Amino acid sequence: MDSTNLQTVGLLIDIFAAAILVTAFLVVSSRSLVFYIRLFALQSFFLGIVAFLVVLGYGETHILIAAVLTIAVKAIAIPFVLSRVIDRINVHKEVDFSINITVSLLLCGGMVILADSVAHSILDAQRADAPAVSRVLSVSIAMMLIGLFIMTTRKKAITQIVGLLTMENGVFLSGLSITYGMPLIVEVGIFFDILVAVLILGVFIFRINKTFESISIDSLRSLRE
Amino acid sequence: MSDVLTFVLPALLQLVLVLVLAPLICGIIGKTKARFQHRQGAGILQPYYDLAKLLRKEVVISSVASWVFRCTPYLVFASTCLIALLVPTVVVPLPLDRVGDIITVISLFALGRFFVALVGLDTGSAFGGLGASREMSIASIIEPAMMLAIFTAAVTAGSTNLSIIVAKLSSTPASMMNPAHLLAFSGLFIVTMAETGRIPVDNPDTHLELTMIHEAMILEYSGRYLAFVEWSSQMKLVIFLALLSNMFFPLGMAASMSPWALCVGGAAFFAKVIVLAAVVAVVESTNAKLRLFRVPELLMVAFILSLLALILYFIIGA
Repeated sequence: MDSTNLQTVGLLIDIFAAAILVTAFLVVSSRSLVFYIRLFALQSFFLGIVAFLVVLGYGETHILIAAVLTIAVKAIAIPFVLSRVIDRINVHKEVDFSINITVSLLLCGGMVILADSVAHSILDAQRADAPAVSRVLSVSIAMMLIGLFIMTTRKKAITQIVGLLTMENGVFLSGLSITYGMPLIVEVGIFFDILVAVLILGVFIFRINKTFESISIDSLRSLRE
Repeated sequence: MSDVLTFVLPALLQLVLVLVLAPLICGIIGKTKARFQHRQGAGILQPYYDLAKLLRKEVVISSVASWVFRCTPYLVFASTCLIALLVPTVVVPLPLDRVGDIITVISLFALGRFFVALVGLDTGSAFGGLGASREMSIASIIEPAMMLAIFTAAVTAGSTNLSIIVAKLSSTPASMMNPAHLLAFSGLFIVTMAETGRIPVDNPDTHLELTMIHEAMILEYSGRYLAFVEWSSQMKLVIFLALLSNMFFPLGMAASMSPWALCVGGAAFFAKVIVLAAVVAVVESTNAKLRLFRVPELLMVAFILSLLALILYFIIGA
């Protein structure tokens, strides 16, 4: 692979990484649960493309399976399951926020800056001739922080799952950016883990909704007695 | 004599181009929106007829109106004309790039906005005050977003001078696809929709009390005053479309004053502005107007996109 092609691949990775970050921000900016799911599917699709680009640019063929699995599981299967859950519980809007959308967006902007400074201190300790994909590390750390933020500030159980999945996408991206992905057996394990977790959580949400007439996690407190 | 040829003549041509093009672009947007609603719609030349009619009409001025009311239309029109001289349209280097850079453009917009808001208050009508307060609260979010988006382009080129930004970008076409650049473009696009009073933020076509922003401030104007204010806001749209197209994708801009290059540059500019105007019309037709209290959320998205653009410039580099 000659250097101009490698540059093009690097540029494309940058563009898709930026797109992934934008989808995370759009999740923070919206209220519609269906939109969350669609954005998550889009985000996972972009993540799969980044993985394909890493295969193309750096010849790491074992990621190919991870890339296909990302698109199959996270961009198609999980969104499908979550849409079914939304249809059945018939809740479409996130209405109560701990922090309003405007402030959330600003805080998430701050998190990207934080993530960048953290990533710099990690990358500076590494070798100087790091490949283009390692620039994506700060995006992946920002994704983890934003996913955590979504989980802590939104109250609907579906949104909590989307936050968890956003964090997971961040972990996958950071694996890609530092070490060209984890060993295949680990990746495959994680994918099935996530898929089963979402299936169980989907059933769980359905039961919560049936018992409490709401999927707001605040009502779970009444379980204590 | 050479000064006249190299500076004054191109500058005047650029001013005339923006002046003449502005009503046409608004006509095209109106026609596109009408077709989306399955209406025949007015012809694309309608804004010219409207302006001509308004210029002939008598001016009615409220008895409590002060000098601010009388001078604002001319002031806004003059400042918009000055901006039209400063933005990149057909040829680069810009004829008047030593007069002002992108910061001048932003502050001239702010000057016009300030006086229009004053007019809203001046006549003491309830709608005017309402419009002025809405305009100012929205502007306080738009302006930082606009500055950040523009500074991303400026930081990439290493200068706030529009000629240098355009020239630098033309010489390295790959940087047009830079993620920072694309994000700044989308941030500035949302800013454009808000700045020019387009649908997710404000509706330019109605005088509905509860929703109007820009129309509320200029409600008291009539005759040639209204014509100048309307013409300025039409020019503002073209200026923003010119900034969007040429500050981010300066394809086909003329690099010299030869007639052939000017023709190509003019055609490219016309095509880019028409495409962007069509996109504006599609966005306007496919979206509902936001509730006023939801508008800050949309504008915050624009702000965050521009902020991300600037951060990504430093993460990823140009």
